[in-house]
Amino acid sequence: MKRAGKQPANIQQKASRTNLSPPPPLSPHPIRGEAAMQIQVRCGCGEAACPEWAVVEVQGVLQPQPCFSGRIQGLHIGRLCSTSSAPTSKGGYTFTVGYHELAGSKVTLKKPLLVLRKKKNDNGDTGELGQGGPAAAAEVELEVIGIIRHKILFKDRPKALISKPVPKEKKALPAAATPSTVPPAS
Amino acid sequence: ARKKEERPSSAASRIRSMDAAMEDAAAPGSEWDRGSGGAEAVLGLAGAGASLSVCYHEAFGPHADLILLEAGDDLLPDLLQGRVTVRGRPEEEAVLCTPSATYAMKFVGTSNSMFLIPPGEAVAASLRPDHTNEDATVASAAAASIIKVAPGSIELVRTAPRLDKLRSLLRERPYVLDEDLGDGSEDKQGLYTWQDLCVLVQSSDSELLEGLNSLSAVEIDGFWRTVDVGSVNTVLDMILHNSVLHDWLLNALPENAVLSVMEADGFTHKIVAHCLSRFGTKVEQEAGSCWKLDERLVCLQFARRALAAGKMKLNNFMDKWERSIPSGMRADLQMLEGEVLYERLGAETWVHAFSVADLPLTPAERFAALFRERPRWEWKDLQPFIRDLRVPGASSEGLLIKYARRTQPSADSDPIFTAR
Repeated sequence: MKRAGKQPANIQQKASRTNLSPPPPLSPHPIRGEAAMQIQVRCGCGEAACPEWAVVEVQGVLQPQPCFSGRIQGLHIGRLCSTSSAPTSKGGYTFTVGYHELAGSKVTLKKPLLVLRKKKNDNGDTGELGQGGPAAAAEVELEVIGIIRHKILFKDRPKALISKPVPKEKKALPAAATPSTVPPAS
Repeated sequence: ARKKEERPSSAASRIRSMDAAMEDAAAPGSEWDRGSGGAEAVLGLAGAGASLSVCYHEAFGPHADLILLEAGDDLLPDLLQGRVTVRGRPEEEAVLCTPSATYAMKFVGTSNSMFLIPPGEAVAASLRPDHTNEDATVASAAAASIIKVAPGSIELVRTAPRLDKLRSLLRERPYVLDEDLGDGSEDKQGLYTWQDLCVLVQSSDSELLEGLNSLSAVEIDGFWRTVDVGSVNTVLDMILHNSVLHDWLLNALPENAVLSVMEADGFTHKIVAHCLSRFGTKVEQEAGSCWKLDERLVCLQFARRALAAGKMKLNNFMDKWERSIPSGMRADLQMLEGEVLYERLGAETWVHAFSVADLPLTPAERFAALFRERPRWEWKDLQPFIRDLRVPGASSEGLLIKYARRTQPSADSDPIFTAR
């Protein structure tokens, strides 16, 4: 896991970390402004076979180094690593990005998120313009293309990694070996 | 944390920012949905030391067409089986409708970075040459690919259907009997089919149907109509008139006979059947279907008619009302709950029509209309005018506290409600 040399990205952390801050004010409505007034939500995959997407969530934003800002497609971000040995126990993960290491865990969403894709069907035949009624100019459809049930959430401030190989182990050992929690004298 | 709300569809005049660059790249070859994201690998990552490289997808970009919708498990079956629509005109806030419920759609942004990783087999990260040399281990390993950073998601909040609009649409052009005489033009202005209403009214199908029922609407020639009061009165009068002529019992009007006699008098099946169902309930008997007229509904109709000219002294009204109703029926002031208001002027009590059916359906507007009519309400007077209000997540007590001020002059007196 030790890394050397130039790193592609760094994590820019939020200045103040209010973990459960109220959601920001509503932005322009994402569905608003469509020509069609009834949008069908379709699902090609059906209930049983809806493909599951994954989410990796970190606080703040990732900022590519300036030299990549022109094109970041395909750019390597970091390495996701499982830290717990038993797959059944609450999964622990680290996400190493540049000189930073984040510790996080897998979270099951209370309410799943559906991934919808907005599609415009520009079918040539304009609908019956019977009685000044609502004829949709371009048919808009929302298609369910996936479902998100879990995310891997990194909600803590990143830990800086020193690029020398030693500190990693050094840090890990004392942590395990410091029994500073002496049983309270009764 | 930075937040970008702008989601450009054409980036012609934009400065060459990162977004613009992403768009350029994502547009031509956005074949990302073929499946190469590696979601399974991410979610299946387990065991101490197992690891996976994470990179930006070759088609990474804003992908404004991808939207996240939060949906509880109760809603998933409807969503995944195509039983859900989004309804509303462009200037309205969109609602999401299942077959039986209406939900407001609230966009909730996040300042976290939510990296979306589509499904598919994780493929080797195609690092650019300048990178490959530096990190050979990464280049050879499989990588999960981020297609988009989601700015937030849409939450669904159960909401009341917007049925005020349904009422105003259906009142544009009530059905009148004369239309059947054929002078009706081909003009379809103010007429709405079920499909039209689905598109125009922000309501689930079953709530819309309930709304049509509570408006006593009827589908005539494919259009949902309310029926003009005068026409309803005429048909009701004729049914009652014929019941005397033909010795029909008001609690067992023989359906077939009524329909054919009325048709001979020039009334269509449709409108007669509508009036029967509006004022009665169907009873299946051996001899055939019968209709039992509802005493309250019939008497109420005559009360409205008596009060149509304006307010009356209570005694005069009672005389007029009792004389007008069919013999065998008994008028009772309790039938008029939610339909009239009484006021005391000197020694006299006056009564005037004030129907809950004409009041707005949203709580704020309902209370405003009530307090315009009368600044102070006693509970027993107010209750019939608010008991039909139904707002998800709020009880009628809750609405009362929200929109009215309660005062109680003394411990044993009735509480009085005034505007907040």
